[in-house]
Amino acid sequence: MNEIIGVILAAIISWLNFVIVDTYFSLPEEPGVKGADLVGRSIKDRGGDLSGGFFQGNILCSPDASAGTLLSSIGFLVLGINGGILAGFLVYIGNRLCADPGYAGTCGALTMTVILYICTKFFGFTAEMFIVGMVIAIFTIQGISHPYSSKLLGSIAAKFNRSAKLE
Amino acid sequence: MIYSISGTLLLINYLITIFVSIIVALFLRLPLLPEKPRRFSWTKSAIFPTTIIAMGLLAFCFSINFYYLYDGKLLAIIMGIIAAIFVKYFFKYVFPDSPSVKGDIDE
Repeated sequence: MNEIIGVILAAIISWLNFVIVDTYFSLPEEPGVKGADLVGRSIKDRGGDLSGGFFQGNILCSPDASAGTLLSSIGFLVLGINGGILAGFLVYIGNRLCADPGYAGTCGALTMTVILYICTKFFGFTAEMFIVGMVIAIFTIQGISHPYSSKLLGSIAAKFNRSAKLE
Repeated sequence: MIYSISGTLLLINYLITIFVSIIVALFLRLPLLPEKPRRFSWTKSAIFPTTIIAMGLLAFCFSINFYYLYDGKLLAIIMGIIAAIFVKYFFKYVFPDSPSVKGDIDE
């Protein structure tokens, strides 16, 4: 597969994987730690959405599905399927040490390992494409514009019925 | 990626360790699933995190090319048992407790 097309497709797949898993495990619903709370309220003050702000604060403050997706791509590059599962285990340890139950990060890493196995075996992707794609996907959430990305994440959270209940 | 054992055997090994860890965890009277709402629950259960720890330990052994007897099947059973015993008896000495009061976030 052409490398540029592969990176773009991998970025889309990674974005969908981590946003869906994180939203399903209710990252936008409440901040796990005080830092996430501060980030969410700061983004709201700058014209963003509170649910999306909590989402961004949570993926900043503890390893959730975003970190799981990136780490399992790296583990898959180095060690194959074993590396992806090992990444899920390490993300779980990191989650527990960050005052987080650890469902989102672990599930994100394991689903990404399955996706990586299917994509590399049948569709001609390589694990490097997913590492670059995941960095691009994180950049679209955290790097370009916090108010716009938080509004997008907030509307996705509302569709999943996971909007923030705090005010 | 080159494995010392085939992909099918690898999958079978992981399924064995998942199955054994759930059975041993249920035998040690851990609940099968956390209580609802599950996404906020800190309860240790047979599905989560016992299977994750069993798979992680097994993946660690496989990634350093340690397969032991019967292409890793015996190791899968041993890791399932170790993971269940760890979650039941030693988990609290390794990982911190849940934040005690709901809504009190102090980190």
